[in-house]
Amino acid sequence: MRRASRGGDESGTGTPRQNGVSGGRGGARGAVAERGDAAVGGGDDDEAGCSPADMQDEDNDPARRREIRSKYRDLINSVQQNREDMLSPTNNKLTDVLEEANKLFAEVRQAREAALDAQLLVLATDLGKEKASQLHAEGSAFDPAAFAEHLLSFMGLNRLEEEDEDVEGGASGGYLPQDAWQRVANRAQCCFRTAPSFHYMMGSFLAELPPPRQRVERQRKAPGKEAKRIMPTQLKRMEESHQEATEKEVERILGYLRSYFFDDPTSPISYYEFVIDPTSFSRSVENIFHTSFLVRDGLAKMYLDNHKLPCIAPVEEGEVEAGGASNRQQCVISISPKSWKELIEAFDITEPLIQAPSTQHTE
Amino acid sequence: MSQRKRASNTQSSQNKGVRSQRWEAVLGDDEDDPSFTQPSTSQVQKGLDRLTPAQVDLKTAEVVQFIFVKDQKKFPIRRADIVKHVVKEYRNIYPEIIKRVGRVFETVFGLKLVEIDSKNHVYILINKLEQLEGESLNMSPSNPKTGLLFVILSIVFMKGGVVKESMVWNTLKKLRVDQGERHEIFGDVKKVVTDEFVRQRYLEYVRIPHTEPLEFEFRWGQRADMEVSKVKLLEFIGQLHEQDPQSWTQQYRDATAPPAAPAVVTSANTSASVSQR
Repeated sequence: MRRASRGGDESGTGTPRQNGVSGGRGGARGAVAERGDAAVGGGDDDEAGCSPADMQDEDNDPARRREIRSKYRDLINSVQQNREDMLSPTNNKLTDVLEEANKLFAEVRQAREAALDAQLLVLATDLGKEKASQLHAEGSAFDPAAFAEHLLSFMGLNRLEEEDEDVEGGASGGYLPQDAWQRVANRAQCCFRTAPSFHYMMGSFLAELPPPRQRVERQRKAPGKEAKRIMPTQLKRMEESHQEATEKEVERILGYLRSYFFDDPTSPISYYEFVIDPTSFSRSVENIFHTSFLVRDGLAKMYLDNHKLPCIAPVEEGEVEAGGASNRQQCVISISPKSWKELIEAFDITEPLIQAPSTQHTE
Repeated sequence: MSQRKRASNTQSSQNKGVRSQRWEAVLGDDEDDPSFTQPSTSQVQKGLDRLTPAQVDLKTAEVVQFIFVKDQKKFPIRRADIVKHVVKEYRNIYPEIIKRVGRVFETVFGLKLVEIDSKNHVYILINKLEQLEGESLNMSPSNPKTGLLFVILSIVFMKGGVVKESMVWNTLKKLRVDQGERHEIFGDVKKVVTDEFVRQRYLEYVRIPHTEPLEFEFRWGQRADMEVSKVKLLEFIGQLHEQDPQSWTQQYRDATAPPAAPAVVTSANTSASVSQR
């Protein structure tokens, strides 16, 4: 049935459409295949007359289908947008839309377009139902649009201000006075049995409101402070632990220095022998760094021995103050992996005098 | 594996729950207070025996004042709030107190305390006295929002009790009130209509099921049912149209029907009209 009508439709309008932009080779190839199919199937008698190739081509023309879909969507949109106007009993827009859709449907070939048609039908049915419900009302019908017009008049709309005619669907022209809604409210007030809202004769104690609010704010601030307090302590601890690590290390090295010194107070301790770890360059650098604190704090002293080689010795408790700031001297020790190796060879260092801290205590 | 599956299942069902809950939340912000259980009459009597009449009177007065202040915004007042903020340790005699409060409102102020939701225990205050036309001007200037509310309630009423929101917005647009634009008097109109009026229980704003895109409809809220005189509404509408209110037969019948159980009355009306045809 549908095929037959399609065939009829085709004979009228099919030929020029086939020459459309995208009716190119793909379509032609498809047509060949289709022709083959038709041959296998034995062919429908009513399609034998008009070429099935043309038909198939037209059915699948994407541009054509897109156009139909676009038109359907426009129609659906316009129905959704102008819904209220379409409902108005004074016009026949719904019929117009349905006629338009009928025209479109004549060209629908595929399910996708048909789905859109169905969607439009749902909308139209819904509108029809609502239009019908308007008829149900006995006596006068109520038209919201007319109601709005009457309200505008009541509000004191000055229609002379702008002389443009009523714009269809939109708000009609004219100037609405400031107290328009007040007027409606005053008149409508008597429909409401609203309890008068309560007010203190001398106004309410507004001054009393802020204090509890402030209290709330204070309460809210309090945890904030705590949070802030936590943050710095955490940071301090981190710094402390870092400092402590350095300090501990410095003290540990001082302990080594003292124990070596008191083992044999007469023989000087060679600085390089003390500091250099033959197994690790970085440990050596660390030792130099930590030892420098001992010297800075006046807990150790450095001097050159007879061979003009640097030596290190702990400073006795009493001597610490005697050193004084005036006596202070600075020097920079540089060390590279290369010089580190040379020093190991020159001093014949086989073992570190300062044990790596990790082997002694964790952290 | 099975756990994950179960988790995703519960999640999807939760999502649905959240959506429906959201609309419940829009309709009313009630929540049950598990801390409060209605005391029995004997409990109340026992509680009353322990208190002096002056103490009970004072508590009653406090509740009256609390309700007055709470009513300023016209949002319903929850029993949970009354108990929590005022009644407190007197909760065992709550039924007696609220009875006395109701009596004070009726006999002293000419108002009526109505429990609009006996499940969630929510009260509103309405005026017992009929307001005469024009009289309100002397008292306090009426709120322009009343005008807006009147328009919406009128449309809903005249259209048989339920109206798609698009019809309301379309009519308001003709009155220079656009839901998308800031109104110089009402501000965020969409919020006033779908939030404030709904929370005040003047309107119900409910999603219409199975609509794509989403559509909502308006009905009268419980406060409107209590407060608004349909006869007077119809009179005003008739005055606007320069038409006899009785010419809207169905609406007129609805408006003059006894106020009890309005929903039943409306459905009876429609069936009557059908059978007449």
